[in-house]
Amino acid sequence: MALYHNAPMAHSQEPTAAPIEHRFNPYSDNGGSILAISGKDFSVIAGDTRQSEGYNIQTRYARKVWQLTDKAVLATNGFAADGNNFVKRVKQRLEWYEHAHHKPMGLKSIARMIQTMLYGKRFFPYYVYNILGGIEEDGSGAVYSFDPVGSYEREACRAAGAAQSLIQPFLDNQIYFKNQQPEPGSQPFIPGNLPLATVLSLVVDSFTSATERHIEVGDGMEIYIVMNKGRTTDDLLGEGKLQKGMQIEELGALGEGSGERTFLVRQALKRD
Amino acid sequence: MFLTRSEYDRGVNTFSPEGRLFQVEYAMEAIKLGSTTVGITTPEGVILAVEKRVPSPLLESSSIEKIMEIDSHIGTAMSGLTADARTMVEHARVTSQMHNFTYDEKIGVESCTQAVCDLALRFGESVEDDDALMSRPFGVALLIAGIDEKGPQLYHTDPSGTFVRYDAKAIGSGSDAAQQSLQDAFHKQMTLMEAHSLALKVLKQVMEEKLDENNVQLAQVTKSKGFEILGENELKAVIETLAA
Amino acid sequence: MWKQPSPANSSFNEFNTFPLPQTQRGQSSHAHHGPVGHTQQPLVTGTSVLGLKYEGGVMIAADNLASYGSLARFRDIQRLHPLGKHTLLGVAGDMSDFQWLKKELDALLREEDALALTDSHPSLSPKNIYELLSNLFYARRSKMNPVWNAVLVGGWDKVKQESFLAYVDLLGTTYTAPTLATGFGAHLAQPLLREAYEAKAGIDGNGPLLTKEEAEKVLEDCMKVLFYRDARSLNKYQIATITSEGVSISDSKSADTYWKFAEGLRGYGAQTQ
Repeated sequence: MALYHNAPMAHSQEPTAAPIEHRFNPYSDNGGSILAISGKDFSVIAGDTRQSEGYNIQTRYARKVWQLTDKAVLATNGFAADGNNFVKRVKQRLEWYEHAHHKPMGLKSIARMIQTMLYGKRFFPYYVYNILGGIEEDGSGAVYSFDPVGSYEREACRAAGAAQSLIQPFLDNQIYFKNQQPEPGSQPFIPGNLPLATVLSLVVDSFTSATERHIEVGDGMEIYIVMNKGRTTDDLLGEGKLQKGMQIEELGALGEGSGERTFLVRQALKRD
Repeated sequence: MFLTRSEYDRGVNTFSPEGRLFQVEYAMEAIKLGSTTVGITTPEGVILAVEKRVPSPLLESSSIEKIMEIDSHIGTAMSGLTADARTMVEHARVTSQMHNFTYDEKIGVESCTQAVCDLALRFGESVEDDDALMSRPFGVALLIAGIDEKGPQLYHTDPSGTFVRYDAKAIGSGSDAAQQSLQDAFHKQMTLMEAHSLALKVLKQVMEEKLDENNVQLAQVTKSKGFEILGENELKAVIETLAA
Repeated sequence: MWKQPSPANSSFNEFNTFPLPQTQRGQSSHAHHGPVGHTQQPLVTGTSVLGLKYEGGVMIAADNLASYGSLARFRDIQRLHPLGKHTLLGVAGDMSDFQWLKKELDALLREEDALALTDSHPSLSPKNIYELLSNLFYARRSKMNPVWNAVLVGGWDKVKQESFLAYVDLLGTTYTAPTLATGFGAHLAQPLLREAYEAKAGIDGNGPLLTKEEAEKVLEDCMKVLFYRDARSLNKYQIATITSEGVSISDSKSADTYWKFAEGLRGYGAQTQ
C-alpha cells in the first residue's frame, strides 16, 4: 500500500513552474526612417543615416539606401544586421540572374524576388521594412513597399521606420491629396504626377520634421533620384535648384547602362 | 588495365582516346531514327511541324504527341526516343513556372532551353546525394520555339546538352534532305502562313506515306496568341495550299 | 552591460550579482531535457572597450578584468588581441567565446601567412577581417547560437593609407565611426570621446585629428570615468595603438584616482551618525 501511496506524492513534488528561460533575442531595432515617392518618369528614395539602439546613437553615418541596378534603388529599415545581410543577398541574386539570363533584372521582377526572399524566411523573418523605388519597364517611376515577411504592393509613395507615423500622414495629404478638394471646375487630383522639385522638398520637409520630433531620426540624409532615360535633368541640376547645403553626385551606370540616370543628394540633418 | 579500342563505349562517361563519348554519340544516332521534325522562325512567330508515323490504320493518330507546350509562350517538338522528352519537358515546365513565380515575368526562351540542357549530362553513376537522374543519355533532340522580349526564337538541343539557335532547323530521319530544302527556301521575311506551308512541303518530301491531317502536326508561337497547336481545320487549310 | 546569469530561483536579478547557472531550487538539473540548446549566457565577462581615431592611426583601450558575475574573478586578462601586423581586436563580453575567437582567427591567419610565403598572396586587411567577423557573428546569431561578444576592430589600411575602426556584436550588428565604445563605455565614454574628437576635427571630421598624446589623454580620462562608475571595471588597463608601423600594445597601467571627496559623503565608508 505504501508503495502506491508514495507515487502521487512524488508526482506532486515535480516543479510546477517551467524553468526560467533567458532566451537569446536575435533581433534589435536600429531606428531611423526611410521614404520613397514616385513621379511620372522618376522615383525618389531617401533615408536618414543615423543608426541607434535604445537611447544610444551607434553611428551618425550608416547606409540604409542602396543602388541595386541602373533602375532600382532599395531602402531598408528595422534591424540593421538583417537589413545589411538582406541587401547583400539581393545583390547576389541580381548578379546570378544577370549571368543566367543575360539581362539586368527589371524592377517588378526585383520586387517579386524580394517577396520570395522575405517569405522564404517567414518563420525566422528578416526584421526589415523594405521600400523599392525605380523605373518600371514602361518608363514610369515606381515605388514598391514590403512588410518583413513579403507582403508587397506598388504605391505612389511610402514611408517606413521609426517616423512612419509622422511622415506617412503628411504624404497621404501631399501625395494622395487626402482631405483636399480640387477647386470647383478644376481637374481632379492624380497621385504620382508631382514635379521633381515638389517631391524633393516634400522629402526634405519630411526628414527635417521627423528629426525635430523623433529622437531616432537625424544626423544626415541620403536621397537617391532615379530618372527615366531621356528625361530632362534641368529641374535637378539647373542653377539654384538644390536647397542650401545639399551636395549632389551622379552615380555612374552599374552595368552597360540603358539610359536611366541615378543621382545621390546628401544633406545634413540636426544631430541632437 | 588498358581497354581494347572497342571497349570505350561501355562506361557512359568514359572518354575514348580520341576524346569522344561514345554513348552520347550513339544517343545522337537514335535521333536519326526518329520521325522528321521541322521548325521555322519568322518575324511574326515560330512554327513547328512534325511527322506522325502511323504504322497501323487501327492506331488513333491523335494519341501521338510530339509537340508539347512548355509555357504559354514556349513550345517544343521532338524527335528520337520521345518518352525521354517527357522528363525534359516536365523539367522545362517546372523551371518556367518557377521563374514566373519568382520574377513575375515570363522566362526567356534561351534560359528555358538552357534549363533543359542542364539535365542532359546528368547521367552515369551518382556521387553521394548528387542526383544523377538517368543511367544513359537522353535519346531525343528537341526544337524549342518561343517568343520573348528578344523576339521569336528557335533552339535545337541534342543529347550532349549543346544548344544552338536556328532560323530554320530539321531533325530526325529525313533531316539531311529537309535541312537542305529549308536552306533553299528560307528567307528572313517569311510570313507565318508561308512558314507553315514550307514546313509541310519539306515534310512531304521526306515522308514515305502521303501527307494528310492525320500524319502531321503543326504548331506556332505568336506574340499575340502565344503557343498553340493547330486544329484539324487549320491544318487542312495549310495542306490545301500545298496542292495548289 | 552583459545579461547576467540569473540567480537561483529568481527570474529577476536587478543587480547582476549571481553568476550561477539558472536552476530552480528543489529541481534536479536533468529536468532540463530535450535537444541540446545552443542559447548560452555569458559567464566570465569583460566590460567596456573604447576606440578612437587619431592623427596617423587608431587607439583601442580595454581594462584587464574578467568578471564572474559581480566577482572580480580574473584581474590580469588581456582583452586586446592583435591579428597580423595591422589589425587589432578589442573584445568585451564572454571571455570563453573570446578565447575561441582568438583560436579560430589565429588559425586562419597562420594559414594566410603560409600562403603568403610561397605566393604573392595579399595579407588580410582590417576591412577583410571585419567583414569576416561580421559574417561569422551574423551566421552564429542566425543559428541562435551567438558568439557573446562586442568587438572593436582597429586597424591600418595599407592600401588607402588610413585608419580603420569598426564595431560588430553578437547580433551581427555592425557600424563604423571615428569614436566607438561598447557596453557602459557607450554611455559614459562615448560622449567624451565624441566631444574631444569633434573639438578638433569638427562635426564632419574634416579638421585635424587628435594627436597621439591628446588621444591617449582622452582615453585615459575615459578609462578613469569608467573605473569610477562601472562596477565591473578595473583600474588596470591597456591601450593599443595601430599605425602604419604596426600594432603596439602598452603595458598595463592605472589612472590616478582621487577619493578624498568621498569621505564626506553619507553612505561611503563608516557611518558616524
